[in-house]
This record gives sequence, C-alpha cells and structure tokens, in this order.
Amino acid sequence: MTQRITNPRDLKALQEKVKSEIDLRSGPKDLRITVHMGTCGIAAGARDILTALMHELGAAKVENVSLQQTGCAGLCDQEPMLTLTDKAGGSFRYGRLDKNKVGEIVRDHVLRGQPVLEYLIKA
Amino acid sequence: MSDDGIVKCACGEEASEEELLARLDTVLKDYRDKPGALIPVLQIAQGLFGYLPESALKRIALGLDKSYSEVAGVVSFYSFFSTVPRGKHLVRVCLGTACYVRGGKRVLDALKQKLKVDVGETTPDRVFTLEVARCFGACGLAPAIMIDEEVHHRVKPSRIELVLSKYRNGNGDAPVERSAKR
Amino acid sequence: MTNVRTHVLVCTGGGCIASGALEVSAALREQIERHGLLEEIKIIESGCLGPCAVGPVAAVYPDGVFYQNLRPDDAAEIVEEHLLKGRVVERLVRKAPAGETVPGLHEIDFFQKQVKIVLRNCGVIDPQRIEEYIARDGYQALAKVLAEMTPEQVIDQMKKSGLRGRGGAGFSTGLKWSFTRKAAGDVKYILCNGDEGDPGAFMDRSVLEGDPHSVIEGMAIAAFAIGAHQGYAYIRAEYPLAVERFNKALVQAREYGLLGKDIMGSGFDFDIEVRMGSGAFVCGEETALMTSIEGNRGEPRPRPPFPANKGLWGKPSCLNNVETFANVPVIILKGAEWYASFGTEKSKGTKVFALAGAVNNTGLVEVPVGLPLGEIIYDIGGGIPGGKKFKAVQMGGPSGGCIPKEYLNTPVDYESLSELGAIMGSGGMIVMDDDTCMVDVARFFLDFCQDESCGKCPPCRVGTKRMLEIVTRICEGQGQEGDVERLIELGNVVRDASLCGLGQTAPNPVLSTIRYFRDEYDAHIREKRCPAGVCSALVRAPCQTACPAGVDIPGYVSLIGEKRYAEALALHRERNPFASVCARVCFHTCEDKCRRAGLDEAVSIRGLKRFMAEQEVTVQLPEIRDSEENAQRKIAVIGAGPAGLSCAYFLARLGYRPKVFEAEPRAGGMLVQAIPAYRLPREELAREIRMIERLGVTIETNAKLGRDFTLQSLRDQGYDAVFLGVGAPLGSKLGIPGENADGVADALRFLREYNVRGSVEVGKQVVVIGGGNAAVDAARTALRLGAETVTILYRRTRAEMPAYAEEIDEAEHEGVRLATLVAPLEIVTKDGRVAGVKCRHMALGEFDRSGRRRPVAKDDEDFVVSADQVIAAIGQALGSDEIFNGTKVKLNRSGFIAADPLTGQTSVEWLFAGGDAVLGPWSVVAAIGAGEKAAVGIDKYLTGAEHAFWRTERRPDTEFDPEADPVQYPRAKIHTIPVTKRKHNFQEVELSWSEAVARREARRCLRCDFRPAEDKACGEEI
Repeated sequence: MTQRITNPRDLKALQEKVKSEIDLRSGPKDLRITVHMGTCGIAAGARDILTALMHELGAAKVENVSLQQTGCAGLCDQEPMLTLTDKAGGSFRYGRLDKNKVGEIVRDHVLRGQPVLEYLIKA
Repeated sequence: MSDDGIVKCACGEEASEEELLARLDTVLKDYRDKPGALIPVLQIAQGLFGYLPESALKRIALGLDKSYSEVAGVVSFYSFFSTVPRGKHLVRVCLGTACYVRGGKRVLDALKQKLKVDVGETTPDRVFTLEVARCFGACGLAPAIMIDEEVHHRVKPSRIELVLSKYRNGNGDAPVERSAKR
Repeated sequence: MTNVRTHVLVCTGGGCIASGALEVSAALREQIERHGLLEEIKIIESGCLGPCAVGPVAAVYPDGVFYQNLRPDDAAEIVEEHLLKGRVVERLVRKAPAGETVPGLHEIDFFQKQVKIVLRNCGVIDPQRIEEYIARDGYQALAKVLAEMTPEQVIDQMKKSGLRGRGGAGFSTGLKWSFTRKAAGDVKYILCNGDEGDPGAFMDRSVLEGDPHSVIEGMAIAAFAIGAHQGYAYIRAEYPLAVERFNKALVQAREYGLLGKDIMGSGFDFDIEVRMGSGAFVCGEETALMTSIEGNRGEPRPRPPFPANKGLWGKPSCLNNVETFANVPVIILKGAEWYASFGTEKSKGTKVFALAGAVNNTGLVEVPVGLPLGEIIYDIGGGIPGGKKFKAVQMGGPSGGCIPKEYLNTPVDYESLSELGAIMGSGGMIVMDDDTCMVDVARFFLDFCQDESCGKCPPCRVGTKRMLEIVTRICEGQGQEGDVERLIELGNVVRDASLCGLGQTAPNPVLSTIRYFRDEYDAHIREKRCPAGVCSALVRAPCQTACPAGVDIPGYVSLIGEKRYAEALALHRERNPFASVCARVCFHTCEDKCRRAGLDEAVSIRGLKRFMAEQEVTVQLPEIRDSEENAQRKIAVIGAGPAGLSCAYFLARLGYRPKVFEAEPRAGGMLVQAIPAYRLPREELAREIRMIERLGVTIETNAKLGRDFTLQSLRDQGYDAVFLGVGAPLGSKLGIPGENADGVADALRFLREYNVRGSVEVGKQVVVIGGGNAAVDAARTALRLGAETVTILYRRTRAEMPAYAEEIDEAEHEGVRLATLVAPLEIVTKDGRVAGVKCRHMALGEFDRSGRRRPVAKDDEDFVVSADQVIAAIGQALGSDEIFNGTKVKLNRSGFIAADPLTGQTSVEWLFAGGDAVLGPWSVVAAIGAGEKAAVGIDKYLTGAEHAFWRTERRPDTEFDPEADPVQYPRAKIHTIPVTKRKHNFQEVELSWSEAVARREARRCLRCDFRPAEDKACGEEI
C-alpha cells in the first residue's frame, strides 16, 4: 500500500504531499489539539485526557478540530498536558489537566475562542 | 506484536508447562540462526512462563547449542531474569536518584509493610512480586513505581493501597479511598 | 455572558508585589469598573512574568503589549487610552533588551532560553506517523548524504560541527566515525546506546518515544559514513513504550524503503534491529553493551583493542548514544557551521538535560552548551519549590559529582564540570535542597555502583564494598575519626585500578561530596547528627535535629496537647533555658523541617512555645547535680548574652558556680541591647535571667573585657576556664564617601543607645542601609521614636534579605518603605550633616559564591534619597584586639574566633567560645546551643569526662495513636495587635493563643519521634 521511495525526488514529493495534507487538516479555520503522550504523560493520565477530549469534542459536535498525539514536551512536571494551536499559529499549552479542565477548555477555548488562562502553563 | 520483539505476559492463560515448552521450541526454531539470540530468547521465555524454570533453560541451552552453565550464567547476570515464580503483577519501586530524593524509600517501606514481603519476594497469594528498579525515566514525576508495564507517578505511601487495589481484581480487599490532600 | 475581549495580566511575583503590584492591580480594577468594562476586560494576577527589576509589570492580551514600572496613578491612563480607545501608552511600554521576548501566553520562561535541536520534534509531531517526521524535513538529510556526499565528506562535516558524544565521555563523534571507517574489515556495525541507565536521566527515553525516526535517520547516516549495513539499537527493558515506538518506526521506515535494500535508489543497504536490555547498568559501558548484544553476560573487557577496530563479534563497530544520533540529521541539513555557532569554544551545539529533584519545573531542557548552571536551574527550572534553599546539583549520575551553590555561575560544558569533580554524563541534573543529606546521597550512589558492579575486577567489586561499609556506618551514627580519610584513600585506589568506566567513576559521588560537604560528614561522625534530618539512625524527629539547641520538640508539643504545661516547659528547659525569650525571637529552623508541611503547613512550634511559656506562674528550677568539687572550680563567662548565660546555666546544673562579666549595665546581650521591646518584652527576659541567677550564677555588670580586666588577669585570679561569649558588637563601616558625617549611625549602636540608655537621637527622614535583622529592628525602632519616613535600602531583592520574613512584613505594615535593588554610593552632606543618600539602581547579574545573584549596577542615572539620618546595618565584627589583649587566639576565616563546634574549645586550651563571637551575627538559639556545648566541653576539660545528663533522650509518656489519621486543622495563625496601636510605642506586637487554639495546634504534630514499642523502624506516613 505504501509507495516505496526509490529516489530523493520521491521523498521531496512525499514531503510536499504530507505537508499539504497536514496544512489541510489544520486549515485556516481550524484548531489543532495535541496531547503529550510520553511515558511521563501517560503515567500522569494522558490517556484519560485524550478520551475526555474525544468525548467532549464529540458531545459538542465540533468538527474543525484535529486531535493528535505527540511525545513528551519536556515539562514533565505539568503532565498531563496538551497544546492547542490556533489558526493564527499561536500555541497554548495547558498543564496539570483533569477531565473537568478539559471540559472547560473545550467549552471556552475551542467553542468560544477564549483561552482558559488559569490552566495555561505559566513559569 | 511479536514481530516487534515484544512479548506480552502469558499470565491469565492457563497453559500447561508442556504446551509452553512447545511454544518455546517454535521460538527457538526462529532464533536458532540469529546471532546473539540467547538474550532475546530468554526474554521471550520469561514472558511465556512468567519466570525461567529449569526445564525452559535446559530446552534453550539445547536449542541454541550452548552449555547449560553458560545459559545459567547469563540468567544470573541480568536482574530482569528470575528463576523463581513471580506474582501475577510485578511491582517495581524506582530507587533512581530523583525518586530517592523525593521519598522513594518511604514508598518502598510502605509497600513492604502493605504486602508483607521483602524485596524480591512474592505475596503468598501469588498476586504481587515486589522488586526495586533503577529509574524508569519518569524522574519528572518522582517518586514513581511501575506495575507490570504501567508507570504510576508521584506515589505517596498513604496512597499505596489505592494503587494496588486496581490490580487486585476482586481479591477480596476493597480499595480504601482516602482524601489525601495534594 | 459576554465574551471577555481583553486580558490584563498583572504580575504578582514577589518582586512586583514588593514594588506595589497589588495596588496597581486594584487601581486598574477600579478604573475598569468606573468605565463599565468589567464584563469585557478581565484582570489576572499572574505569576512572575520575568523582569522583576522594572516591576510592577503588566501585559495586555491579545495585544501583546507589555508595560513596566507601573504606579497606581497610571491605571487611569492605561484604561482610558489603551483599553477604551486602543491607543498604547507608549511612555510605559517596556523597551526590551535585545533578545528578550515579551512574556506571554505563547511563551513561558521554561522555553525561552532553550534551543531545540535534539528535541526539535519531541512534543510536536505524532511519533507514530512517519509522515509527520517527513513533513518536517525528515529523511532529507539521509537523501542528501546518499545522493550528494561521500562518506569522507559526511565525516568531515561531523568533525567540523564539533559534535561530541552525548553519552557522557564527550569524545568527538566525527573522529570516532573516521576511526571506524578506516578500520580494516568488510563487515562493520553501527550501534545505538539506548541503555540510559543513569538514574535521573531520561532524555534518550524521551527522544526514542517522541521522535524515533530522528535516531533511525542518524544511525543510517552514520552507517553510510563508516560503511556499515547492519545496526543495533540497544534499548533498556525499563522503557517498554520506547521499544514499542522505535519498533513501529522501523516498520514504517522499511515500508517506505528508507531502511532495507537499495535505500532511495542509492545502492546503499542498511537495517536496524532492536535489542532490549535486561536490567544491568554496566551494559551502558560500550564493551559490555557489545558482549550483551552477543548474548553473553554483559561484562566489560579491557581496551585496547578499541571497538572501532574490534567491536561487536570482533568486527569494527561504532557506538553512539540516542541523543548523538538525533543531532546528526540536523547537522547535515543545516551545516556544520550553523551547529558550531551554538555552544562554547571546546563544546559545540546543545545538550539536553533532565531536570529532576527539588526544582519547580522538572522535565527536559535543551540549551546551548556553556549556559551557566544557575540559569538552567533558576531561569528555566523555576528555582527551588517550597521556599527551600538550593544545596547542590548532582550531575552525571553515579559516575558524576555534586556541585554546590558556590559554583552556580559555572558554564555547563565538559571541561568546566570535570574541573569541579562532576561530569556532563548523559545529562541528568538532580537538584537537591537543604532537606537532602549529602552523606546519604553518597551512600545511595555507592550502593548503586556496588550493586551494579559486574564483579569481574576486584578494585571495583571489593573497593566499592568497603567504601559502602564505611559510608553506611557513618550514616548509622557509627562513624569514626579517620573514616573520611579512609574513604578518600580507597576512592583513589578504586578509581585508578578498575577495569571499566563504572569502577573508575564509582568513587566520584563520594569524593565530590567530601570535597564540598566535608562539614556534613564531620557532623555525622563527630556530633552523631545529620543536619538535613535524613539519616534515620541519627534523627529522632527532623524538627529536633534542626534545632541548634536540640530541644525535644515533639515531646513538649505533645505535653501541651495534654495540658501538662509545667512538664512541657521543664522538658524545653532541659536543653534551652530561654523558653519565653525564644518563643518571641527564635527564627524556628524546626518549622522549616516540619514534616507536616508535606501535608499542609508546618506546625506553628513557636506559637505553641509562646503559649506554653505564658502558662508559667512561678519559675520552676531545673534539675541540678550538686558537686563539691565543681563548686570549688572557678569559671568565668564573659558576656551575659544568650551564649554566655546558656553556658552559665548548664555549668550551674553540673554544680559549678560560674561568674558572668557583662560590659553593659544590663544583662542580656543582644537580647536587651538590640532586640526591641516590641518583639521581646523586657520582663520576659528578666524572668529567665533571674532563673539562671537562682542556680548559683553571679552576674557582674559594667565589667568590660579589655577595660576592667583581661583574659590574663582572669587567669592570674585563678580562673580554671573562661568562656568568651562577647558577640559581634562592632558595626561594619559602609566604606563610601561621607560616612563620617553627622547623622550617620551604625545600627547596633543606635539600638543599644535606645534600649540600654533609654534615649537616642532620631531624624525625621531616616534611611537604613542593609537587609538583616538589625536593619529591620533599627527601622521599626526609628519609626516608633517619631521618624516621619523610614526607608530601608537593600542592594539585592527582598527574597535575599537575611532578616526574618515575618519581621519584614510587619515593618512594611507599620509603614517602613523597602527599596530593594538599590545600592548607596555616597552620603550626601550639607554643612557636615547628612542630607541624603546618593544611590544607584541595581540589577541581578551572575551567580556569586553565596549562590545568589550578584547585584550589578545599572547604567541609568544615580538618584538621591533625601535623609537627615542614615543608619548603617551592613555587618558586624568582633573587635579582637580589645578582647585578646595579647593572648594569642586563632581566628577563623571570617575574622571570628576559631572554636571546636562540638566543645567550643579555642586554640588556647582553657579558653572556650561560642555564639556570634564564633559564628558571626547569627541567631539566638544557635548561641544558646553553643553555650550548652561549651558548658559540656569545659566540664570535660576540667574533669576528663562528660556529665551532660540532660542530653539523655527520654520517651515521652504522652498518648499517641499511630494508626489514626492526622487531624485536619489548618495551621493556627499568630495574631498581632493593630498597626495603629503599636506604631508609636513599644508594646509587644504578637498576641498569644487561647488554650483551645494551642491544644488544637499541638495535636497537628505528626509525632515523627514516635517508635512502636519493639520495632525501631518509624511507621510514619505522610
């Protein structure tokens, strides 16, 4: 199924293709939510956060949000955490999450565009 | 998954030793020609049996054309291998530096008290085996313990029972919920 | 519900609050409300936004405008202009220095100083989808190498980049590759070391889990460069998720043909196999790792031959660690010069560190090599949690060493670290606060190495075992004189004679803790005391260990809980006669160590002591053991301060009849001369001094050493021993022009004149220079005596002021102004009198040897604070000439008397000393403890034996149920009288508790001293 890459041009072409796919996915109106799922994140409950997010997004019938997983962002102390990237390219890191906080983030930030400042990671 | 070299514990499936040895033979056939096969095979065997019984070690020595003493020597070298039966769940307490600094020893003491076993021992009901380990790399969330392949972070001695109860599976002990602050 | 359109973040970090952020915030709120904007504009009092020096600061979002040096009057303009009309108030906008970004929602400090090369994709892409890696230039470097470069060119690039092995040793990666390339042989191997065994290091785990393809690509490029076609990745079994994701990544790479035969049509074949470790630390060593892959016991073998010539299965092999490989693709794509532009002369690029332990932001950080250690811990790591003090950072795991606070300014690179006895290692950085015992840490690492020693060579196997025995003995209170020397000797042997890196470096943690924390070893060995309160054999309860006088705190606290107040007080006075005094002035190190703080807050031990002391109706005398012989011996105590009086008290309890000489007309030392009556009512002090006199102690006032008698004259009068408790009575000079003008006083003299003689000249505008307790006492006294304004100038920040925090708070409540980060340059005079102080703003610069940031002058304009009186409180000295008058006594490095910390004995055998005269200006309770030690020391000197019967510990007979849950009351507050009722008088500020409050507070104690009847192990659960 996967197209084998047989020369450097193939790789470039593939890169362009996946880039545009990813751009398409997080198009001009869309938000991207990334849940950090390294060992530390998972130990801190990132799986529950991902489940809660899917549940909340589903319940709110949100369709312009892509949900992704990624590795550790280095801030183990703040796990479980997620990064929300908005259309303007701003990224918002939320830390020490629980189900209730996820609910608020979906309600306020995803649906109304108001970041939930209390849960943003501050140094 | 077995392609990836990851072996899920066979606990729960009741297979006779004969059946397990037969499975081991298949594994040995696959690995016979691979260089440096002994350790991966031992890892798989431990996954199958839950520990490394003498019968399995003998079979491995035979299958890989090595002396029994060489196999036994390798087994005794690595702390992951066990030649005595282990409990259904392996509880490992991280005593890496970060966990140690954040109170890992107190967690270990609490576990010893709670399970009434010492390090390296298995509870009489064969549910838990207690071991210590060096660093799971969850230092950011110390102190950590690892039960089977799941890491639990910021464990407090007073919350040990809560963590264990999830693994007991109707073993009679109801979880004791406590409102520990922070 | 309307939508909030704008957020205003007002920084309420410590620095900004000190400069008035709360007032600014309130003013903003008022203005916003006045304009009816409350619905749409939200004020958030945020954590520290960074530039404290220009505080108060505030940021407006989404505009991203950052205001500095705000005052409450600015609020109206900001709201009317900016928030209402959208016009930014330019004059208040922060002009950030180059490189400084505006802190905000998108950026937090944690990420600001970081440069992400290795971690470029971690936490950004989905590691389980190769497409995401490809979208971010993944495998482009491999394509470039295969299509455009020769192996030699690749190696050349690596050499030029200056990349050094990130596994610990720091060997040049390019050189390593070229050796393997040049080695003879058709079959070669590339190996990846993912056996990240150093406890406290988890950067490799993070990369393998979060960006496995970067490692695969790096390995493939390396394989091409050295001429290998097979690679092995050896990953710890403790990292199941890393193994799973790496395997998945391999499968995906093969599907795309990025691994396997004829990669991208180049004719180059390469594949990777994963091998899981099996829990043997030594397998992180390269030769051991190879024998382990071969399927044997993972024992190291001697080098040469080096793996580059004879490695895995005897073939030329090149081993690099995960982080090293992850760097490779970026170096190829962006160029060696680009990479070499980060870092220092000898150490290029970035390094990932795992921050763990006692630090606020634990996690992974990637910074240019050479960033000062302090910046990593404080600026990125966010400092030490819970108000604790930084003690040391352990770097490089079991092979590394500890670096103490003196070296926070050290650039973190290979060379600088090894000079300090630590190593870069794999990058574990474990921060330790003052709750960590360094001897215990050394024991921990030795135990680790002993356990992980493969046993092949005797120096490592036997040597580490012997060292462990000694260190364990020390931790258990069985240490002997000479143990430290034995450790050093053994350590050197193990280091020089071991076969592999594990043994060669195993002594490092011991040697480095001895190097920097010798005093802790000595405390364990000689005093049988663990200063950090960790070693259980030496610690009955951490509060008691922390008390310099060793008072049985859990004992008297539990007695208070049972209303047995007289017994409680008697128990306190077993070790410290000044219960009532300490209830008022003690800086309670006990509370800093209270384990209850782990649950909610520390027990208010000082509050309890105050309540207890107030229950005393008639003074009860402590146990005295009469002795005819001792009563005959003549002992002189010089100085009737806390050290001298405590010494006399304990001597009297042993049957001596000491005589105390006091220079001033009133006994009490600093307690009466410097500490104002609003903190310590004079009758309380007098009561406890009378108690001491009733034990047979004589006090002669107005008898000054050097004026009325000398040390030699005392000897001539037949005194057998002398205790010197003269304190540190001289104020240090400011050392700036104009300091001899009229109206410049030193704080101690100022306080003494008022407290002892009853009156002192006070100006209308008073400036106090300094940040210690004497400064705060002088400021509050000046205010009470009628000064209109009192300003304290301090050159560092409030957090660094040595004065007790609660005293600073009260001073501010009473109206004392605090100007921090201000240094005096000159006393401005007019006609020979003080007219003001010329000052300069300071900023915090590099870390100095005290572990604090050094204040450096800013280049803005000087300013003058007008004043008609300046009180200097910048330090105190001994004045030794007058004291010794010809008697030769050794001084310590700080210019105070050198005395044995255990016995107080000085270099003159009959002369003992303690308190501020030895320690420099310090605390009352430390002086009391030193007095007790000297009393025991003097007795031992005269009789040849120790008779300190009060030191025997007794089990309290109070009730305690170890099974019960801790009581849920919060810490009781100590109330104070209203500011208006105390601002102009010397009435005691703090109030006492009711019996109900006190007893409830007493029951909050977790009773760490409790031991089950037969079992010695402590069953406390927190």
